[in-house]
Amino acid sequence: MFYKALMLLALGSLSAHGASVCPATAPAGAWGLEYQVSASQSGAEPRQVQLLRRGAQTALYSPEHQMAEWWHFEDPKRPGFSRVFDQQQRRIDYYMGDLRALGVQAQQEEVESFAARHLLGQLTKQGSSPCEHAERYQGEINGVSYDLLWSPVLAAPLAIVTRKGEVERRWQADKLLGKDAVNARFATWQRYRETDFADIGDMENDPFLAKMINQGFIEHREHAVYNDQGQPLATGHSH
Amino acid sequence: MKKIPQVMSALGAAVATALVAMAADAAVLPTTQTDSSWYQDGAAAVAAKVAQARNTGTAKNIIFFVGDGMGVSTLTAARIYQGQQAGNSGEENRLSFETFPYSALSKTYSVNQQTPDSAPTMTAMITGVKTEDGMLSVSADSIRGNCLSSQGNELKTALELAEDRGKSTGIVSTARITHATPAATYAHTPERDWEADSNLTAEAVANGCHDIAYQLVMDAPGDGLEVALGGGRSYFLPNTVTDGEGAKGRRKDGNDLTAKWSEQFTNAAYVWNQAQFDAIDVTKTDHLLGLFEASHMQYEADRADDTAGEPSLAEMTSKAIDMLAKNDKGYFLMVEGGRIDHAHHAGNAARALADTVALSDAVKAALGKVDLEDTLIIVSADHSHTFTIAGYPARGNPILGLVHEPNDEAIAVNAATADDGLPYTTLGYANGPGAKQGARSDLSGIDTTDVDFLQQAQVPMGSETHAAEDVAIYATGPGAYLFQGNVEQNVIFHVMNQAGALGGSKY
Ligand SMILES: [Zn+2]
Repeated sequence: MFYKALMLLALGSLSAHGASVCPATAPAGAWGLEYQVSASQSGAEPRQVQLLRRGAQTALYSPEHQMAEWWHFEDPKRPGFSRVFDQQQRRIDYYMGDLRALGVQAQQEEVESFAARHLLGQLTKQGSSPCEHAERYQGEINGVSYDLLWSPVLAAPLAIVTRKGEVERRWQADKLLGKDAVNARFATWQRYRETDFADIGDMENDPFLAKMINQGFIEHREHAVYNDQGQPLATGHSH
Repeated sequence: MKKIPQVMSALGAAVATALVAMAADAAVLPTTQTDSSWYQDGAAAVAAKVAQARNTGTAKNIIFFVGDGMGVSTLTAARIYQGQQAGNSGEENRLSFETFPYSALSKTYSVNQQTPDSAPTMTAMITGVKTEDGMLSVSADSIRGNCLSSQGNELKTALELAEDRGKSTGIVSTARITHATPAATYAHTPERDWEADSNLTAEAVANGCHDIAYQLVMDAPGDGLEVALGGGRSYFLPNTVTDGEGAKGRRKDGNDLTAKWSEQFTNAAYVWNQAQFDAIDVTKTDHLLGLFEASHMQYEADRADDTAGEPSLAEMTSKAIDMLAKNDKGYFLMVEGGRIDHAHHAGNAARALADTVALSDAVKAALGKVDLEDTLIIVSADHSHTFTIAGYPARGNPILGLVHEPNDEAIAVNAATADDGLPYTTLGYANGPGAKQGARSDLSGIDTTDVDFLQQAQVPMGSETHAAEDVAIYATGPGAYLFQGNVEQNVIFHVMNQAGALGGSKY
């Protein structure tokens, strides 16, 4: 449920037609990619999702919802995780035992690659790419066709288009965020009032946490490329 | 009937009198009944009760174990869980303290809530007075979160009374030692969340209220606690400091309370990992502070994976008793199984049961070190959870498993199904993260005994809640017989006070 929420926030759809961002090298220190996410049939405005990276830290941020899911993989066997709520200036921190108790098994590579790393091995690398510093992969997995533009220097996708029947989803990076912007955001989040996830159940008196207790954590399903079991859609294998 | 003469010879005159009635009954009962091991074991249990003399002496030492969130259903499930882990069917097993001679039920409501949190419940147990939710060892005349309102309403705790009597005192918890249950023993605050100074409100600072970590070290009762072991390191360190496991401190006031501990007390030591803990020489240390995690300690199920290693609840309890037993005047020790509650909140029964067994092991460790002639041991809980053991599983059915009924011919294969045609687990929650909107998911083919499995729940909630029914009290040693029937939770203090002659009031 929880891993799914992470990916729901993260993923929408590609366009490998071109690339408005295609860096030759990864910016030093910290960087981010802002994706426009849209679906052919929804008729809704495209939404933004940001992938923010600094060392072993990766965050997926929804500017629209002002919420982030922020992972720390300094010790990959004991990842740390925080949910960030910008509007309320609050953070919920999850420790190793909390993640395990909730059955969360996040893969570092998947989180860091915007949940696209597993696609590389299953798609076919194309000879040409619309962008000099990116690789293009295409193929079909379980009835879903993929068109992926992959940046080896960032180890992240610049664009993904998935097509199933009439429905096309696109995620396209249209902005590279520099280290100052990313550092500033992480610093802001670090200053928020934090609560251990383990303590939430005992803090029903806190109106913000009472909402968490009574309504659970808000999830955003509209961009899901993961199925109801939290598994990547159409990857042909499940964990 | 072969057991009865043996029992009689063993138990002496008083018992013999009591057994006259039983022997008479036995004569009219069929041998199929009296030869039964159930019958004989039951008779022996009653004979042992008859033989038992009340220990009305004074308890030089008091050890008070609290399982946070350890309701009666948790005890039953943990008992079966432990028994099954030892390769038995499980139901016949007993947790270490379930063999104690005396028990009672404890009513846990607080002054303002039907279902309480750990703050008013521990306050009741440790001061003899019920208060409102969120408050630690201040009376209900205070307003939660308001410093000024709490001043003059502080309640003296059993630990503080023990310090006044010149006894040694200690606290041990797998939660943060600034968390509600341990904090209520030494701190007084109208807000349980004031664990570090950075959590204090402007009003609290202006009116001179101190945070809980500060109170433990700087406002300590008597000559200070002799032992404080558990989690919560970040609440003792400045926010400019990163600790040995990579976590940042939370204090804004610049105080390093781990350093202050050594300045404040004589022969004091501070440790934060397993190796340092193991290396402590009890004979040369009089005040020991051990903080093994930035926040709560690991769940018992995950403890082996901790970065710097951390001791078990049993190891901390043993070390604490070694430290405290140096004092001829005796001691007061509070030990909390602090994470049973958290695993339940997460809807994760396996971890809750493993931590309950860890508490049982800690009690066992204590039993191996004390003389019950002069030591009162009490085991209770602050409140329950919405945790249930249901269905009609066969005897010995895995407690974390799907329900297989005894009449099921293919017991190893087919799980019983509910009205929706789906199997179900014996363990479940009334609410919490294990619930989902709409239909239940199909558990066929799911390993429900996996430590990470979330039991299904009825009402979907981000966190499973506490429950309001009574919890159990188990006791042994001097004064233990005072626990009888159904009591208000605050009676626990009065038993400790009376049995331990803590001088808290006139009786
Ligand atoms: Zn709780």
